[in-house]
Amino acid sequence: MTSPASAQLIESYLSQVAAALPGPARTRADIVAELRSGLLDAADAHRRAGLAPPAAAQAAVAEFGHPAQIATAFRPGIAAGQARHAAVTLLVTGPLIGLLWAAAARASHVGVRAAPPWQWAGAPPAAPIALPLIAAVLLITVWTALITLAATGRLTRWLPHRPRLAPTTAAIAGFGAATVDVILLATVASQLATAPATLAAAPMALAAAASTTRLILARRAGRRCLASRASLS
Amino acid sequence: MRAETLKGHLDGMLLASLEPGPRHGYAIMEALRAGSGGQLDLPTGTVYPALHRLERAGLVAAAWSQATGRRRRVYQLTPAGRRALAAERGTWREFSAAVTRLLEPAPRPAPS
Repeated sequence: MTSPASAQLIESYLSQVAAALPGPARTRADIVAELRSGLLDAADAHRRAGLAPPAAAQAAVAEFGHPAQIATAFRPGIAAGQARHAAVTLLVTGPLIGLLWAAAARASHVGVRAAPPWQWAGAPPAAPIALPLIAAVLLITVWTALITLAATGRLTRWLPHRPRLAPTTAAIAGFGAATVDVILLATVASQLATAPATLAAAPMALAAAASTTRLILARRAGRRCLASRASLS
Repeated sequence: MRAETLKGHLDGMLLASLEPGPRHGYAIMEALRAGSGGQLDLPTGTVYPALHRLERAGLVAAAWSQATGRRRRVYQLTPAGRRALAAERGTWREFSAAVTRLLEPAPRPAPS
């Protein structure tokens, strides 16, 4: 096995790579673990070729290349992983939040169940503006999230290599979802100010809490994707 | 041979190195080095991001394995990876045959 001095050399190299890697801790830990086993394999090979343990570790580290160079090479992949994670989370949670709002609207006194939402009697005055706006932003959000999935999955086999595409579309999707939440919350707030009696308290509070949480997380995901996009240049 | 020329075909070479069977990152690098007769002097560390890219594209599958003592991430070709390798090989054969015809001097007819 490797001597303490060799191990120290490899660990200090790995900590330099880790420091230059962006992204979630789990992703970075996996990359470092894989590089560690590779470096130890490389050191073993150099020792079999006749080098003393510290020299073998030195050769392994030299063979792997500059820490910054390796970290840079990992960046597009990490950015793609982050973008994909954001898009999947948005696409999974989106319908749930939609259901909560639909349930809250139905439970509230907003009128005829058979009619489309904008014809509901007692609906918020802002609804004729808010609902089409939500539909438009939602359309953009869903499309950009789907493009993110395509640009980070199996389809990359046939697509041209464009590392900045997925972080861009994922950021748009994140900010889009956050915008939908802002419009929904603003609409409810205006209704609360004008006709609070029409709102079913518990379902509305639940939907508003879900939307507030998503708003914060989606905005954060959008910012992270923009940051990783900027690091790719 | 220019190292840059070889690097342009890194994806195909990585897939080819996995054709005989599953391998971990360092074994893949050793196979590339041996196979290229030392012409491919790529920093070993950059093989890993390339493998991760092939994994995202579904051309290779990776799993952690402790089979040989040290915990390593082992890669193997997926069916899509095999198809991609066959396609890459076909393209390369056509390309190299054409370049060979164009670059090699034509045999001169014997003077009569």
